[in-house]
Amino acid sequence: MGKVLLGRYVPGDSIVHRMDPRAKLILSFFFIVIIFLANNWQSYVLLFALTIGSILAARVNFAFFIKGVRPLIWLILFTVLLQIFFSSGGTVFWRWGPFNLSYYGLINGAYVFCRFVLIIFMSTLLTLTTAPLAIADALEKLMMPLKKIKVPVYEISLMLSIALRFVPTLMDETAKIMNAQRSRGVNFGEGSIMQQIKAVVPLLVPLFVSSFNRAEDLATAMEARGYRGGEGRTKYRVHYWQTGDTAGCAVFVIVLIILLFLRHW
Amino acid sequence: MAMAIIFKAVNYTYQPNTPFEQQALENISAEIPTGSYTALIGHTGSGKSTFLQHLNGLLRPTSGVIHVGKQIITPETKNKQLGELRKHVGIVFQFPEAQLFEETVIKDIAFAPKNFGKTEEEAETIARRMAQQVGLDDELLSKSPFELSGGQMRRVAIAGILAMEPEILVLDEPTAGLDPQGRLEIMEMFKRLKEEQNLTVVLVTHQMDDVAKYADNVIVLEKGKQIASGTPSEIFAQPNWLVEHHLALPKAGEFALEFEKKTGYKFATLPLTEVSLARQIASLLHGGGVHHG
Repeated sequence: MGKVLLGRYVPGDSIVHRMDPRAKLILSFFFIVIIFLANNWQSYVLLFALTIGSILAARVNFAFFIKGVRPLIWLILFTVLLQIFFSSGGTVFWRWGPFNLSYYGLINGAYVFCRFVLIIFMSTLLTLTTAPLAIADALEKLMMPLKKIKVPVYEISLMLSIALRFVPTLMDETAKIMNAQRSRGVNFGEGSIMQQIKAVVPLLVPLFVSSFNRAEDLATAMEARGYRGGEGRTKYRVHYWQTGDTAGCAVFVIVLIILLFLRHW
Repeated sequence: MAMAIIFKAVNYTYQPNTPFEQQALENISAEIPTGSYTALIGHTGSGKSTFLQHLNGLLRPTSGVIHVGKQIITPETKNKQLGELRKHVGIVFQFPEAQLFEETVIKDIAFAPKNFGKTEEEAETIARRMAQQVGLDDELLSKSPFELSGGQMRRVAIAGILAMEPEILVLDEPTAGLDPQGRLEIMEMFKRLKEEQNLTVVLVTHQMDDVAKYADNVIVLEKGKQIASGTPSEIFAQPNWLVEHHLALPKAGEFALEFEKKTGYKFATLPLTEVSLARQIASLLHGGGVHHG
């Protein structure tokens, strides 16, 4: 079970860890947008420098990032191959039916690969350095203006926090029940499709039952502690926008300016 | 069939070669003899659960060898080869009522034997017998397991494991969360079953009273290492060592120590169960007065 890295938080005490989650969230989105402005190798070098710089500042083991890419590698390769074989222009090296291997195709393929890797690295950096609940808090804060148009911001953020909070619990539970049923002679992931579907029932039913029980307990516990909706509720963890956050934003804006400059090189 | 369990230099590491790497078992060499009632004690995080999951091949050692009867489990053992082993080793996990899923109690108890190749009728016959063993009324058998009380669900889950008719029965805190009466009934039931069917029992517990009362062999784990093994009287013989390792004496033993301190009397052997404590005090009262020291 422990193989899933997505959304895994590694506690630490670096500049990036201490940043306001709102800043990190905004900058991650910002980064994903500006990536699409990059159109030559100089701009990709710049974005790689920014990414590597952020990773170094976070002082997180680089192995995490490689691991983050690994589950998506087939999707990436598929997209890259599509780019390589279906875009035309420049010198054509090889042609076979609808496929052709051209200079532009190769370049585009390389760019798409870089884009994927950069986006994965940056979003991995966000989740590695920010506790899931901090991300939920940040989203709530950032969505606040939407309250004006009657979006149930508190409810959405509560649902998100609860969902995030119970992912590890649910995974533990799944592992436990799988072990129990394997001990009773169920073989998961073996046999015909029909047998495999049948094997899921002894896993899903207990998971549903325990999730419902847990939801009930949680509701009771929240009510017992006086939860009456999010309106007017104060936060235990208050995030403050600090100089570091402004500085981080400044760095990204400078990168954007250089990037716009490089585009028209 | 002889089903001794032998661990030889077993190591187990969770998520090896990742930043989350964690060694849960470290160079464990232990033996659980056929027909023994072995208690596995240690703190949370001492590796007890990991140890248990090796007994029926849910986990394979990272290095080392485990013999369970004729089966040999090494890091290279394939999943397919472990099916046979799981038939012989029944594990009652912590809070086993979480594994119930069938429409009726009887179907749930019959689930494991059916998986292990019994026909529908055979499985049901076994299930009825096991329901009786654990003290479930006949009228409950056609109910949904989710309509039952917690204690009854526990019994259904236990019957579901017993229905495999295992030779080795592994119990991970089987009485956690039960009331004292239910606790006693279930522990007595395991004792009876063990004697009747000559089972090998492995019990993980924090109840030192149960260790003293039922076990004849004890393995103590601490941070993934085996720090002691022997009979309960050997393990409980050194109160200071127990304190050092944050383990407790059985209540009878604690009482006896306190008694020694207050009266100056020395017990020949420290009584560990209520029965032996009562006997020793009774013979003391009959045999002569307490010597004040």
